[in-house]
Amino acid sequence: MSTAMNFGTKSFQPRPPDKGSFPLDHLGECKSFKEKFMKCLYDNHFENALCRNESKEYLECRMERKLMLQEPLEKLGFGDLIGGKSEAKK
Amino acid sequence: MGGLWHPGWRRVTFCGWRWIHPGSPARAAERVEPFLRPEWSGTGVAEKGLRWLGTWKHCSLPARHPALQPPRRPKSSDPFTRAHVEEWRQRNKTTLTYVAAVAVAMLGASYAAVPLYRLYCQTTGLGGSAVAGHASDQIENMVPVKDRIIKISFNADVHASLQWNFRPQQTEIYVVPGETALAFYRAKNPTDKPVIGISTYNVVPFEAGQYFNKIQCFCFEEQRLNPQEEVDMPVFFYIDPEFAEDPRMINVDLITLSYTFFEAKEGHTLPVPGYN
Repeated sequence: MSTAMNFGTKSFQPRPPDKGSFPLDHLGECKSFKEKFMKCLYDNHFENALCRNESKEYLECRMERKLMLQEPLEKLGFGDLIGGKSEAKK
Repeated sequence: MGGLWHPGWRRVTFCGWRWIHPGSPARAAERVEPFLRPEWSGTGVAEKGLRWLGTWKHCSLPARHPALQPPRRPKSSDPFTRAHVEEWRQRNKTTLTYVAAVAVAMLGASYAAVPLYRLYCQTTGLGGSAVAGHASDQIENMVPVKDRIIKISFNADVHASLQWNFRPQQTEIYVVPGETALAFYRAKNPTDKPVIGISTYNVVPFEAGQYFNKIQCFCFEEQRLNPQEEVDMPVFFYIDPEFAEDPRMINVDLITLSYTFFEAKEGHTLPVPGYN
């Protein structure tokens, strides 16, 4: 957060996330997907563009387990990964 | 005493007052008085006397019979000056009125500025927090800017009174604007009691923070960790594609996202926006 004596400068305004907060995954239901994603990141030198499939799968896992609100994947920025699959989620 | 304003002395008093400016007319008249008694011989001596006082300047003393002199007026003795003074007074009053009106208008404007500014922010989208309706349609339609790679580094902090182990699971990630990305933090509660924490975040550099959009994360809501529990906390975010078009962001290649966890106590609220 901004420190003291910043009277003239603009201070950082944190914004709430667009879709709210992720419920905590207490039971570790999507842990395997997370591990896959992390491994992919490590292998690809932390380039996000190469691991988008894994992140999509993680979010799908969350949506299935009710740890995340159901959203069409296009709205999450995965429109290019869906391709021919018809995702009738909503 | 005959008074200072005896007709015979009137002119001299007036002149004396003009020269000996800091002094009072009374004292000037007293000093001048001996030289101007009618017994004194001639105006020449009077003038000499006044010269002796060292104060004779341009004052002219036409020899006038006292009875013919006009009734006295205190400060000015001719209509011109009085009209001038009146006009100045009038002008001063008008100016004062205008100045007071401007001051009151400024005060009113400063009060009106708050809602007006909020309105302005909502329409133009500046200022970040007052933007209405920008989220999911934009994500759907945004195109990644593939030639601008940004490194996002992650930082995790914990308030001193919170005993969690909180750390990011990756030190950095490379994204491009317009591409959604996922990152993980991990938190462990090593104590034997359930602890509730609440977090907030910060983005450095400050100007890049307005382009950093979180779709979903774990901040601003109370998160409860049971004893000895360890959880993964994801952050799903993207950098606004307009980042690539902002000239101030040309040299920005590193954005640091920093989360800080605090302990949530009863009745203690974080001074940050929640959404509930």
